[in-house]
Amino acid sequence: MNVTDPMLPPVRGRIDRMGRLLEADQRLQDLNARAGGGVGQPVAVPQIATLARLAQRLGILVSRGVVAADGDDDVELWVRAEPDTDGVRLMITGWRTRAAWHPEAAQGERDGDFLRSSGDWLWETDSALRITFVSISAGAKYGFDSAAMLGQPLTRLFSLGEDREGAFPILGGIAMHQRFDDQRATIRATGRAVQLSASPRTDPSGAFAGFIGAAHMIDDAPAASPVLQPQPALGDLSEAFAARLDHALRAPLGRIIANADSINAQSEGPLRQDYADYAADIASAGRHLMGLVDDLVDLQAIERPDFIVGREPLDLADVARRAAGLLAVRASEAQVRIDKPGAQDSLPATGEFRRALQVLVNLIGNAVRYSPAEGMVWIRTERENGMAAIIVADQGKGIAPEDQARIFEKFERVDPREPGGSGLGLYIARRLARAMGGDVTVDSAPGQGARFVFTLPYRA
Amino acid sequence: MSINDGDMDDGTHWGVSQLLARAAAADVCAESNLSVAVEDFFLPEDSRLDERLRAALSTALSALVSAVESAVRQHAGRLLATRDAASLGGLLARPDKPILERLVSSGVVRDVELMRELVGRVRQDVLAAALPVAAPEDPDRASLLARLVQNSDGVVAASAMALLAAESRRHGDPEGMAVRTDLPAELHHRLVWWVAAALRGRFAADAGEMLLVLDRALCDAALRSIATHDEGDRLEAAAMRLAAALDSRADELAPLLVEALADRRLSLFVALIAHALGLAYDDAREIVLDPEAARLWLVLRALEVDRESIARIGLALSDADPRRDLDSFAEALDSIVATPAGSARAALAPLLLHPDYRAALLAVSRGRRA
Repeated sequence: MNVTDPMLPPVRGRIDRMGRLLEADQRLQDLNARAGGGVGQPVAVPQIATLARLAQRLGILVSRGVVAADGDDDVELWVRAEPDTDGVRLMITGWRTRAAWHPEAAQGERDGDFLRSSGDWLWETDSALRITFVSISAGAKYGFDSAAMLGQPLTRLFSLGEDREGAFPILGGIAMHQRFDDQRATIRATGRAVQLSASPRTDPSGAFAGFIGAAHMIDDAPAASPVLQPQPALGDLSEAFAARLDHALRAPLGRIIANADSINAQSEGPLRQDYADYAADIASAGRHLMGLVDDLVDLQAIERPDFIVGREPLDLADVARRAAGLLAVRASEAQVRIDKPGAQDSLPATGEFRRALQVLVNLIGNAVRYSPAEGMVWIRTERENGMAAIIVADQGKGIAPEDQARIFEKFERVDPREPGGSGLGLYIARRLARAMGGDVTVDSAPGQGARFVFTLPYRA
Repeated sequence: MSINDGDMDDGTHWGVSQLLARAAAADVCAESNLSVAVEDFFLPEDSRLDERLRAALSTALSALVSAVESAVRQHAGRLLATRDAASLGGLLARPDKPILERLVSSGVVRDVELMRELVGRVRQDVLAAALPVAAPEDPDRASLLARLVQNSDGVVAASAMALLAAESRRHGDPEGMAVRTDLPAELHHRLVWWVAAALRGRFAADAGEMLLVLDRALCDAALRSIATHDEGDRLEAAAMRLAAALDSRADELAPLLVEALADRRLSLFVALIAHALGLAYDDAREIVLDPEAARLWLVLRALEVDRESIARIGLALSDADPRRDLDSFAEALDSIVATPAGSARAALAPLLLHPDYRAALLAVSRGRRA
């Protein structure tokens, strides 16, 4: 179960003015009991007791992330302590068991730094999407009054456009409070086309506080060229279906997952354990479907006859480092080490940054998934015959030669018995690589681990 | 800021006398290095700059100087081109080692007022950046300044927009920052003349007989840079204008203060306090930035801010600044709130005297002690 889900329902408790635990949901009771406490006694988790006392003395709601020992594990909690006349009410979310936890807020700021380094100019909004910051120099440079846009709705500055699938990426960003890229838009004042990307700024409890965004002037971007051979057009019906897939499935799936998680967490009261476990199964099946929706939307995009990828100079070693960074948390949860290219490594190539990143996230993600615990995933750079190559090798059970063609087919899997994944990842990765003039290949033998090679044209 | 006055290496062509001279110089140098190290070691830990502030201060200073430098150089270069000194003008316009090193080694930028302004600005930025992000209860409610931009009072709306613009300008793209100094007029003037003088030193040898032409061009360029500087455009001035336009009553002030902090608009927070109390912005900033915070609590009590708001302000500031002691604040909160507004005002009265008078009092008492 994904316990970092901000939609996970909170666990509640009450503490009296003397610091004694009056009542608590099961999870909090268990945590407190394992720390040696019980209902009617002083709270035994020192961090929670301290926080409650602070809230009581200050007389205001205090919310904090705390790390509490739980058996052999450290559990990371987000605790809201709200004082009232009888004591303090607690509301706890989070319950992360991994040690190297980064607060959401810092994550957002870090994403923001990435955006800053890549955009032509920058903007920020508050949670109501009013512009709170814009690069003043951008106005002079691109011909609009940037200062006059401050405090105005984002849509006053930009007129938003549909992407190739008829969707508005920003809507997903707003609804799910997640990063979005590739929102097409024009600057209202000048009609110039821009591409917007942004990451959410969230407070430490995960609540949305606005976007930190970048704008890329499209006219200045390197020209993209169509590289895929034309394919028979998909029927209108299936195209329209795929275009709406994202919208039609995402929201209901999100609700199913959130509710299943809340049943599993027994936030509304105790529940027989097997029912709670069923709920966890429902949530994980829901997440699987959500991943499938993502892949289908991608698939629909790359199979269109007019699908294009950018040809821009990029550093594959850097892309690999970033992909490895994105998977660092998943790898540490799976106790797998990723040996990524060193900071001084560089491998100049030509392709589209975002797509190359997508391919590498897929390859490294697979390698992490199929690695045994304490295993290692190696990422190496090589240059051969005018191609730049990134090699991702794992210590998993490997792939038999007869399966090596099959795994690149649609809806095929490296190991059909493994749970998770849509069976589209490698298919999409190879299609993207080939669209950029490169390829994804594999060599492996059962028991030897798998070795995937992602190539792009070398840039001299 | 580390400035390396590295010696030129003459390779292997040293004469004996040169070697002896260098050895003697190295001796003096080692002595002075040691005394710097001793000074540095015995500096009181809590008033030292930490590495982050030191780096930020160094960035801020070099950005200021390079903003002035590029303006003066460009204009002087153009003037020289029209005054029959095109080759000298070309030299000025060429990319070059920043003039900052000359200013630092000459010691002029060790100016107390300039450094007071810069340190205050940098500390404020660091504190503002560290303030916790607070998502609003109602996500559809716009943030404070965005709401004020829509205010029916045109003065408030315009001032709010000016503050947003000034913040965007100050914290904008790092390269774009080198356009204006945002300094108080007097400091800006001082800095411009220093830069012009340092540029003269840099190019005097190249100018040769044209030295007077160079002097005139630098003078004219400096005067232009001074004339175009409007201290009313400063972030601090914009924040003060907004605070004055709002002119909040005591009961309106507390929620404004709390929301300004929640939106991480520390400049507005400082300006609201400064205006309400009748202080200058930089005095109020010093009070807000002081981690001891005793004066801030008095100020808030003098402004009749309620217990809950003081608690929120104390919590936000403690979360942002590890030097603040949240526990002792929580301990002291009851006695802070119990302080009558009248006594708080009386205790703060000396702060409200004319700043020059206060400076003079301080100087005289220091003189007497010495």
